[in-house]
Amino acid sequence: MWWKLIIFAGMSAVIIAAFVTPSPMNPENSLGPVDIYRVFYFHVPQAWIASLAFIVSMIYSIRYLRTRDIRYDIRAATANRLGLIFAILATVTGSIFARMTWGEFWNWTEIREVSIFVLLLIYGGYFALRAAVADPDTRANLAAVMSIIFAVAALFLIFVIPRVYGAFTQHPTDSIIDRGGQITMGPTVRIIFFGSLAVFTALFAWIYRLSVRVADMKYRAETE
Amino acid sequence: MPEKSVGWASKVLAVTAKDITTEFRTRYAVNAVVMFALVTLTAVSFALGLLQPSSEILAALFWVILFFAAMSGLAYSFIREEQSGTGLILRLSASGSVVLFGKMFFNFLLLLALTVLIVPLFMIFLKASPQDWPLFIAGVVLGDIGLAGATAIIAAIVSRATIRGALFTVLSFPVLLPLLVASIEISKVGFTGGNFSEIAAPMQLLVAYDVVMIVLSWLLFDFVWRR
Repeated sequence: MWWKLIIFAGMSAVIIAAFVTPSPMNPENSLGPVDIYRVFYFHVPQAWIASLAFIVSMIYSIRYLRTRDIRYDIRAATANRLGLIFAILATVTGSIFARMTWGEFWNWTEIREVSIFVLLLIYGGYFALRAAVADPDTRANLAAVMSIIFAVAALFLIFVIPRVYGAFTQHPTDSIIDRGGQITMGPTVRIIFFGSLAVFTALFAWIYRLSVRVADMKYRAETE
Repeated sequence: MPEKSVGWASKVLAVTAKDITTEFRTRYAVNAVVMFALVTLTAVSFALGLLQPSSEILAALFWVILFFAAMSGLAYSFIREEQSGTGLILRLSASGSVVLFGKMFFNFLLLLALTVLIVPLFMIFLKASPQDWPLFIAGVVLGDIGLAGATAIIAAIVSRATIRGALFTVLSFPVLLPLLVASIEISKVGFTGGNFSEIAAPMQLLVAYDVVMIVLSWLLFDFVWRR
């Protein structure tokens, strides 16, 4: 109950603040319209939640393989389901952001866009596998093993390939806003940005806990 | 028991030999892989017509053909065990790692046979000739090792699913993406010719990927294989 109210108040504050605060950008130095930076208050937290969900599900997958407790599988699947939603949101907002700053909706030479897309493919594969296995224990087992393999492949893609190919990160890695390759984060921007990160994390934790409770109840109702 | 005196490597080879024998009875995987590769190759070279693609495009096309041909047949060695009901006997008579590496090696041989067939045809149909043959071949063989090594455990996972369909391709693609990026890069340099410093980085990446994926499959295989 309290959670819900705090998240509601926090989210409202972030949304209002994100749109009413004056743009810190200098129009001459900007890559796009000066207001486009506002999407980053929502885009970055969404991408962060998508990765956080992947890590949470990873931890529960490993715990499942060690204990064979089906409740850990429920947690891993729930985290992935939320991660999928946030990954779709992050891809869409990121694509709009890229169109306004770099001029293209999609660019395969940008490692961040490639990695979020691969994350979507991984989530898709994970749920395709879960849908294809009928027995719950086998499903939990195979899904856990597959997500570990996915995670290692993703590590290769995100951390190794950019270091091998300089050209894979065509854009300066920090140029979220500025033509000069700088993130112009004044104190106001900083407060709203970290506030948004905190609120999004709380939102994720809240939805996650509710979904796990529902899934646990459903599981108990089915087994009894 | 006489098995105890038999070494690990010869047990692995025994599993591979068994798979080759059963493969020659039905020739399902060989037919699927070869026909798929031929169809894709024909489609690609027919669509290109008189165009002479650059070496970047040639390298990418080559790996698209190899990737999809591999996807059409590599899952079969595990699926066959489940379909014919021989999986349980195999579980009783050999340890997990023996089965994994035996099938991995079988898939590698299958890919090697495919490569031997498809490389000359690719060069003839697309009027391409690598400037640096040894490098091109080395890249393809390392790629074959990675394809066989990374997909063996995925094939085992897919073989236990009730509905298979395109599941193998869907699960393999995100895992194989680093391999494809590195292999295409090496093949590109193989086509144009170039000095070794250009491909040192993708070569290291490819070797590291092959080793990591094979070790990871070995560590995780018992979770998939044992019931």
